[in-house]
Amino acid sequence: MESKRENRRLIALLTPGTLFLGIFFLGPLGMMIVFSFLEPGLYGGVEWNFYHWNYGRILGWADGEWEEFDPVYVEIFLRSARLAFTNVTITLLICYPAAFWVSGLSARWRTFVVFIVTLPFFVSMVVRLFCWVLILRPSGFLNIALLGLGLISEPIDIIYTETAVLIGMAYIMLPFMFLPLYASIEKLDYSLIEASSDLGAKPYQTFFRVILPATLPGIAAGAVLVFIPSLGNFIVPDLLGGAKVLMIGNLVEQQFLSARNWPFGAALSVMIMLVMFTLIVLYLRRIGRSELAR
Amino acid sequence: MKQPWWKCLLTLHGFLFLFFVYAPIIIVVVYSFNSHPINMMIWKDFTFDWYRSIFGYPTILTEQTLYVESTDQLVAAVKNSLIVAASTTFFSTIVGVATALAVYRHQFRLKPFYQGLLYMPMVMPDIVLGIALLVFFVGFSIKLGLISVIIGHCTFLISYVFVVVSARLAGMDDSLEQASADLGATPWTTFRRITLPQILPGIIGGALLAFIISMDDLVITYFIAGVNSTTLPVFIYGMLRRGIKPEINAIATLMLLFSFVIASLGLYFRKRS
Repeated sequence: MESKRENRRLIALLTPGTLFLGIFFLGPLGMMIVFSFLEPGLYGGVEWNFYHWNYGRILGWADGEWEEFDPVYVEIFLRSARLAFTNVTITLLICYPAAFWVSGLSARWRTFVVFIVTLPFFVSMVVRLFCWVLILRPSGFLNIALLGLGLISEPIDIIYTETAVLIGMAYIMLPFMFLPLYASIEKLDYSLIEASSDLGAKPYQTFFRVILPATLPGIAAGAVLVFIPSLGNFIVPDLLGGAKVLMIGNLVEQQFLSARNWPFGAALSVMIMLVMFTLIVLYLRRIGRSELAR
Repeated sequence: MKQPWWKCLLTLHGFLFLFFVYAPIIIVVVYSFNSHPINMMIWKDFTFDWYRSIFGYPTILTEQTLYVESTDQLVAAVKNSLIVAASTTFFSTIVGVATALAVYRHQFRLKPFYQGLLYMPMVMPDIVLGIALLVFFVGFSIKLGLISVIIGHCTFLISYVFVVVSARLAGMDDSLEQASADLGATPWTTFRRITLPQILPGIIGGALLAFIISMDDLVITYFIAGVNSTTLPVFIYGMLRRGIKPEINAIATLMLLFSFVIASLGLYFRKRS
């Protein structure tokens, strides 16, 4: 009797979320997967025929009869993966020592610094990137400052290069790397470090054999959380990379909003999703699910 | 005692890190008050003109620089953003809290499935979710407009509220709830008198953060906003693509201020819980 009522309560609590996410989250993802196997129509629509050439175009089994295989797509994919990986490395190198610094502060300062590092995460990406557009463009702050100081004689071109894209990416992804790193560094047992040095380990030995392995879960979490949104990002390459740095996200956006080849765009997007799932599964296998709950 | 050299280096790095995070923001705020009409990065005089101009007031610069597209469009975008954020917050808070209560206060077989399902929208890349929603809405002939944007935001903000509230529920001792039930209180009374007061700061914090994330979202909104349902970030993105204008400085500064205030409040409440 009681358990029956409890069951009814459980169902009442679960129903809204289940219905909503079932219809408006799983539904769209399923539909996108279906679309990626449909034939693109002549004028932007779709034909309801099974059509695997969307993937063939990207991965190389298109025979040239229906769709041309073009290695450019693989190239763009690899470039995006390389940029996303570089971004992981940059944010890791910036945040790891920074998180160490924060964990060594007094409790009050620690809370405050973590707070001010988290805060920009809640500022719109477009505003944060606009800051960098102002700094990096030819008549921007950096060039004017450098010219004013006499360090350069002509404006340097930084905007619309890969460097600019990487700066922007690192800037917007910093909190995703900092917070998991900080969480694992803060938990670090300092007696282990003391024991290591008391037993005669050199500082670099202590670092590589004690500190690094203990903070590996944080590094892995940060890497996954930075890599996934970097891979599909199209706003940063659009604003800071111009037409020169094309990433997979830009390609997807073009397919949907200008080229109007939705099935092809959906196929590209499914591939981004597959990369994401692979990373998440690998992460959960190796590190465990407790760490994901930040 | 002298500090070892690496500690000094670490402190230096820490300050450089904070500088990297805040310098770009400070530059935009400072230069939003610069009156130089040609190059906004060369400091001339202090002025409120860009702020006056975005609100449609006449300025001394009006004649040479009729920059801002139209104050009407901007006001409409702000209005859309507020409507979307308020509706999204209301809906996703209710659903997120209900789901968190179900998952963290009941035992059932599908529990791991639900935990997975609710984390998924948060790790899903924006662009994938954005175009999936676009395909879905167009496929089912649902008109792209404020409703579609609200639905789109709810898909990932329900998860956000869920995570914030469930962190609180998981860390909370449920012996008080047990005691209340043992003493004969109805489940509703137990919820209202015991559970709710304890998780309320978490709910308020989650709701405020959901509100600001909804206000700031660009990518998902970009794909599913119809012609007349442009939100503020999408509007600014459109302006940026057409060229940099000094007014954007002023708009960006106001958005920064708004985000900082709401997010600070949200983080404060989340911390307190």
